[in-house]
Amino acid sequence: MIRLSVLVLGLMVAASCEAGPVEGSSGRKVLAPADPCRVVSLAPSITEMVFALGKGDRLKGCTQHCDFPAEAGPLPRVGSYRHPDMERIAALKPDLCIATRDGNPPDVLERLEALGIPVYVVNPRDLDAVVATITEIGRLLNAGPRGEELAGDLRTRIERVKSRVACAKRRPKVFFQIGVVPIVSVGTNTFIHELITTAGGKNLAEGPTPYPRFSREQVLALQPEVIIITSMTRGQAFEQVRDEWNRWDSLPAVQNQRIFIVESNLLDRPTPRLIEGLELLARLIHPELFQ
Amino acid sequence: MKPALVVQDLDHSYGQRHILDRVSFSVDQGEFFIVLGPNGSGKTTLIKAASGAVRAQKGLVEILGHPLRTYSGRALARTIAVVPQSAPPDIPFTVAEVVLMGRSPHLGLLGLERRRDRDIARQAMSFTHVEHLAERKLDELSAGERQRALLARAVCQQPRIIVLDEPTASLDPAHQVHIMDLMEGLRREEGITVVMVSHDLNLAALYADRLLLLKEGRVVSLGTPAEVLVFETLERAYGCVLLVDENPLKKVPRVTVVPENLLTGHTKSSRAMGKGPGGSP
Amino acid sequence: MNTTPLPISFLKRMLAVCLLLALLLMISAFLGLSIGSAGQNMKQVLAVLFGHGERDPTTANILWRIRLPRVFLAALVGSTLSLGGLVFQALLRNSLAEPYILGISGGSAVGAITGILLGLSRFPGVASLAFAGSMLTLFPVLAVGSGRAAMRKDALVLAGVMVNAFCSSAIMFLLSLTQDSRLHNILFWLMGDLSLSDPNQVLVLALTLFPCFALLFLLARPMNLLLMGEDTAANLGVNVRLISIVLLVVTSFMVSATVCHSGLLGFVGLVMPHLLRLSFGPDHRLLVPACILGGGAYLVLCDLLSRSLPAQGEMPVGVITAMIGAPLFIFLLQRSKP
Repeated sequence: MIRLSVLVLGLMVAASCEAGPVEGSSGRKVLAPADPCRVVSLAPSITEMVFALGKGDRLKGCTQHCDFPAEAGPLPRVGSYRHPDMERIAALKPDLCIATRDGNPPDVLERLEALGIPVYVVNPRDLDAVVATITEIGRLLNAGPRGEELAGDLRTRIERVKSRVACAKRRPKVFFQIGVVPIVSVGTNTFIHELITTAGGKNLAEGPTPYPRFSREQVLALQPEVIIITSMTRGQAFEQVRDEWNRWDSLPAVQNQRIFIVESNLLDRPTPRLIEGLELLARLIHPELFQ
Repeated sequence: MKPALVVQDLDHSYGQRHILDRVSFSVDQGEFFIVLGPNGSGKTTLIKAASGAVRAQKGLVEILGHPLRTYSGRALARTIAVVPQSAPPDIPFTVAEVVLMGRSPHLGLLGLERRRDRDIARQAMSFTHVEHLAERKLDELSAGERQRALLARAVCQQPRIIVLDEPTASLDPAHQVHIMDLMEGLRREEGITVVMVSHDLNLAALYADRLLLLKEGRVVSLGTPAEVLVFETLERAYGCVLLVDENPLKKVPRVTVVPENLLTGHTKSSRAMGKGPGGSP
Repeated sequence: MNTTPLPISFLKRMLAVCLLLALLLMISAFLGLSIGSAGQNMKQVLAVLFGHGERDPTTANILWRIRLPRVFLAALVGSTLSLGGLVFQALLRNSLAEPYILGISGGSAVGAITGILLGLSRFPGVASLAFAGSMLTLFPVLAVGSGRAAMRKDALVLAGVMVNAFCSSAIMFLLSLTQDSRLHNILFWLMGDLSLSDPNQVLVLALTLFPCFALLFLLARPMNLLLMGEDTAANLGVNVRLISIVLLVVTSFMVSATVCHSGLLGFVGLVMPHLLRLSFGPDHRLLVPACILGGGAYLVLCDLLSRSLPAQGEMPVGVITAMIGAPLFIFLLQRSKP
């Protein structure tokens, strides 16, 4: 009996050390281990997801801007996600790198593969893709069940917001401001737009330009009912910006005192916290539906 | 013996300006030949055409019996050396380096000088008395010293003909004589033909075998100093009154300018004939 | 012969200087290989270099496949830019000339930015467009600057200034269309960036550049003569028109090819020729190899600083060359005053 268990255990160990082919950054198959022990994350969003999946201990390095969760603090840094430091990555002897298609320069990813480091690229373009990516990374890191669990939970929360919003009578006009001077908002091809729409609002800046600029006049003409300012606008105290808007009492947003500030990290990183951001926006846009 | 330089019906214009008008002359080997003429007479263009720097529009130039255009750049540089009136400013090279440049037409592909080239340069510098200035930068020299350095460079080229463009223009009398003596020495000892453009009529008279007098691109007179430096010819060419007598040192004419307040009787009569100082007939 | 002796054989001087600078280059290269963001371990580097010490493949990997191409590229870029500055200073007889003066910077920047905006990868997309852009600027410049017998210096320089100005406005326009994500990429290219040094690309670049270096060395003596004035050079047997065109085209080609890989690194081509001239004299037969070796060493060291100075990540190399180059240039100007 003991011999059988040892045999089975041995086989299991052997299986876990066996490398399996996965799709690499350029579409080629890359050999990644079945249970990666030394993972390097090349984007803050990926770091968050790895920790959310409970595999933070496998992470051996991450980018400069990986600030969440706090456990990521002591991890060695490997440059920024626009400019990953190949030397530091190589020195950490990773058996897997996880990168994003949108953000990490493809040339660097190719160089890393040329050095013999498997690079797996994710591409979370929208809410559904973010949830799918969690499952993907979960499978990659041998945390399949946890990944499914997390994904399921997130989907439930999204559905809850959608179903409540479906009862709304109308869509309030929302102006989402990410830049102060000049005034910059978000177009259709962004996470924030999707969140606003899913949360039952109408993004006044929707359109092909991802980050369109507005003059104050244009905003006034649009008559927003809700103005949301992101904390990404560094250097300008929120109060100052709100006071700027408060001078224009023709705006419905001013009349109803619906000018809010939100933390940018909740709204532009393709991570589980995006759903938190969704819920936050829903509360701000439809306070009557979400207590 | 073939003439050193033959110029036949040379004609050249810059746009509308007709600079040279059917100029013809020849220079024998070993001759000291000086070109004279007022400003704008085409002297500089003439020697540029003769030395290959400018291609004249019409006419023929022959160097040592061969047409100019049959010479390659390097072959021409080994035959004719030009001493410019001055060097451009801010030359960072030392005298030794500048003189060595004269060996360029003789060097191989890599342009590295051999011992022989350095010896020739040394001799050239000692000939023109600039060897003590070998390590000084060209810019730091006085005009006379600079001129002698450029002459040394020309000598280094080991040419058959040396062409000089107003070499004495900015020199004091001592340096003027020195340069002219050096040219005379080259001519006498090496048989080098000297072709020079000058403003200095007296130096020309003292040193030249033959003179060429130009005015407005045309040959006014060609011959020995005694034949060319004649009162009427000079007045026609320069348009001013010049006193011509004999140089006490040598049987050649001596030319003196006449200030207005010194115009005496016989010059006054020329004025009466309508030829005043600085005026034309 | 009791005449003052000429200085010691030029050949000996040249060899001595080359030896000195080659040594400097090798030391710089060694430092460049030893120091990096993965740590400073010179002993380990020595071990790997001399064969024993293969126990740690990671170090070997970092050394040969990350640092070596980068150091090699830095040396090539430094050599080319210094040599480019030297040639243009001689050709245009202008001590403020530098390799970008005739429009190469403008043309290549427009090409590169267009490539980045189109989403092309560094190689071959962006690099090819950068190269095409810079070579295209040669045409208007050559057309304006070609005279009957020789190149008209002032016309050439003015043409280059105009081309650069025009390209600047095109660049501003393109920048105004850019979103954040690409902006970073563009700025890094404009400031000079050696981080994407692919070993194959660097090898191809080296093979392209070495013949250019050799040709320019052969043209060193004519360059000396050109400095004396075009008439003098012609009188000494130089085919001024042909040599000027060859110098112009070969140098433009060389600089364009380099800029595609490294972006617009400034101050190297302006300062290095002056520094070397002040140290070793004005003879181009010596300055050409000096620029190749010394310029290479300089940029390897600057790149090393750009990698090791900041606590996180790296500075663009162009910032270092400017920070060192500008005060150095002013110092040189002071020294050269009589």
